[in-house]
Parts: sequence; C-alpha cells; structure tokens
Amino acid sequence: MSNPSHTANGAGYRIVPALGETPIFHAGDRVRVLTREPIGHYRVPRYLRGKTGVVKTVIEPAGIDNEEEGYGRNAGNRRHYYRIAFPMTAIWPDYVGSPRDGLFIEVYETWLERI
Amino acid sequence: MESSHGHDHAHDHPHAELGQAGRPGYYDMLETAVRELLVERKLIGADEIRRQIEVLDSRTPALGAKIVARAWVDPAFRARLIADGRATCEADFGVTFYDDTSLIVLENTDKVHNLIVCTLCSCYPRPILGLPPDWYKAKPYRARAVIEPRAVLAEFGTVIPDDVEIRVHDSTAMVRYMVLPRRPAGTESYSEDQLAALVTRDTMIGVVPITLDGGRVAR
Amino acid sequence: MTQTENLVKRLPNDIGGLSAEPVQQLDHVLEPWEKRCHALADVLDFHKIINTEEKRCGVEALGAEMVGKLTYYERWIVAFANILFRKGILAPSDVAHKMAEVEARWTNDTAGASTAQPRR
Repeated sequence: MSNPSHTANGAGYRIVPALGETPIFHAGDRVRVLTREPIGHYRVPRYLRGKTGVVKTVIEPAGIDNEEEGYGRNAGNRRHYYRIAFPMTAIWPDYVGSPRDGLFIEVYETWLERI
Repeated sequence: MESSHGHDHAHDHPHAELGQAGRPGYYDMLETAVRELLVERKLIGADEIRRQIEVLDSRTPALGAKIVARAWVDPAFRARLIADGRATCEADFGVTFYDDTSLIVLENTDKVHNLIVCTLCSCYPRPILGLPPDWYKAKPYRARAVIEPRAVLAEFGTVIPDDVEIRVHDSTAMVRYMVLPRRPAGTESYSEDQLAALVTRDTMIGVVPITLDGGRVAR
Repeated sequence: MTQTENLVKRLPNDIGGLSAEPVQQLDHVLEPWEKRCHALADVLDFHKIINTEEKRCGVEALGAEMVGKLTYYERWIVAFANILFRKGILAPSDVAHKMAEVEARWTNDTAGASTAQPRR
C-alpha cells in the first residue's frame, strides 16, 4: 500500500510518503516490545514489556495512536499496528502447556524495536 | 423506560415499577441525570438512546452462528471471511461495525485451537455476537486466559491435546476476533439452519467446542 | 517510595498474567439502566463527545479501588460524568441538581400515585 519513493516513470511526478506513513516492520520481522512505563493511559499490557515476538501481519490501514486517542487526540498522523505472535514460553518463564502455544496481539509501531 | 422528556411525568419513568422493591439505585439515577441533561442541551437526541438499544438488542450470537454455518457449507465464503472478516460480514450479512474496528475470523483446525480475550477491558466482536457475558469481562478470565489457557479451558470442560497449538488473541486495539469452530462429524446432512443451531456464543469465544446437542446439555 | 510506583506504573485494568480465582461462568441480564448506559456510550461516541478510548481512559482513571468495587456499568457512568465535567460539557452542580430532581420525581410518584404507570 505505501511504497517508498513511488515513481511513475515518465509521468513527471513522484509520491513521497509523509512521516510515519510507511510501515517500519514487515511480516516475519523479529521485534521486541519496549520497556517503557508510561504514566496514564496505555494499551500495551505490562506482561508484554520487553518480550520478543514475530510480526505476523502489518495491519492496514494505518491507525491513530490509541494511547493518545484516550486523551481526545484522535486526528492527525497515523502509524501502523502490527499483529505480533509471541510464543507463550517467551512471555512466561514457567508456562504450563504446550511449547507450541502462542499469544497474538496488536501493538502500535511506537512500542516496537527491531532485533 | 428510556429518555424522559424532562418534566412530563405522564410518560414512562426509568425506575422500578411502582409496588416493586426499591427506588432506582444511585447509578441508575446518575445515568438518568446525565442522559437527561445531554438531551436538554441538545447534545444527544431524545430518541437516540432508545434507537441504540434496539441496535444492541438486534445483535445476538445467532448472527455469529449463521456466519459460522455459512462458512462451513460454502468454501468460497469461508475464504473471503478469513481474508477480510469485516468486509465479508458487511457485504453478505449487512453487519455494521464500530469505528475503524476490523474483524479477524480465527479458524480452529485439528492442529490449532483459538481463544479470544481482552485483558485490558472487554473488547469483543459485539456487532456479530452481541454483548459479552460477565465472566468474559471479569478478572479471572482476563487475568488467566493469557498465562494458563489450558487450565482455563479445562474449567469450561475443554481439554486440548498437547499436540494442538493454542493461540490466545488479546484484543487491545482495532482488531476484533471471532473463532470459527470446527464443524463436528456427523453433520454432513444438516441444513445451514441446523448447523447454525449448533453454534453457541461460547464456541465462538473459543472456550468450548461445538457439540451435537448445541450446548443444551449443562457442562 | 518504590512500593507506590507500582500503582502508577500498572493501570488497575492491566491484569493479564496476574493470579486470579477459577472462572465462574456468571452472567446476568442487563438492568434497564445498564443497557441505557451502554447505548449512551455508543451515542456519545457517535456524536464525538466521548470516544471509546476516552471512555477506557476514564474508567482507568477511577483508580484501583473504584475499579475493583464498582460493577462494569457503574464504572462507565461515573467515568462519563467525570469526562463530561473535565470537558466542560456538564458541571457537577448540574448533575447534582438533576439527580435530586430524578429522586424527587420517584418519591412524588410513589407517594401520590394510585395507579401504577406500566413500564415499557
């Protein structure tokens, strides 16, 4: 959907995506949830902070940061949410279940770093 | 019962029927006060609450059950549903969704069992399942489904073999989820309506599998 | 002071992974006011007065004790009142007066009525 420097050959124009419009991460990327501890409204549960998972899907279209939206800021720049898969054993050190079990959750781009 | 018009007491009152126990509770009166003030100030319409109650009442798990049954009998529909849950429900069933929410329909297979939860609040696919049950919104389920899903499922009488992967989906943003349960054996001759009758709310949350008694037998 | 930091760092609704009791499969039919409250949330969102995320934020802001002790829709309606006050849409005195009026209406009805008004 958003391609960097989309150029139409010979058409005489170039599309330059705005800041934040192009997804940083892609399906298959290994990412880690940041260990931020915000004061006030947040939507990334504490149980996920600092955990490592794999991006399954880049959710389209880009969306409003729901943590800012909670304070009424529901317009302006949009970035991507990512559906991330975490093995349960990566989240819980003493997980009881199958090693195949996993957790899937949407995380906003500003909460992730590539590893 | 719903929005009174401020001062006209000839209309219904949103309080306990005369002769029954109790004045309206504190929160009931708070809701009435807030609503009436908003209507008086023309910030919301006098009839909009009643209208929205009709919308809420129209949404029940029966709609989700129809969607599941259709997916069981129609592979092309199933494929579209999996590819884009919201668009397919809008196009084929006229469902309207909230804001920018999307819908991901999660297929259970012989290798994967899906379970949905909202640890932070109570996100739930309301447009196709109606309102969530109390237990879905309460602490035990929300706290434990993400850390010990197998133990939670066992409390519902559901045992998932170790070679089946459990996927827990925690709704925190715009995506809403619905489980597409496995069609049980022995239903090859069932009509779509008969299939839909087997599909209960809890099978679409993922805490129980479909059974041929349609959940009528108490667990 | 490190002990109280945890109250700041963990919102009262952020309970994923905490210990809890067995799931009791409880459910109840909504009281009429609860259903009206849910409808109110949707109507407030529709009119861009309080969006869904603001509602969530407002419920969290009630703090751990209220979040623990109020029921689901009780939390919503108190959160709505707080948000409407903060946005300057309603004043606390407006709500106080209106609640007194609502209560007086009920008292007058129970005192004065000889025929019950049927509830819809």
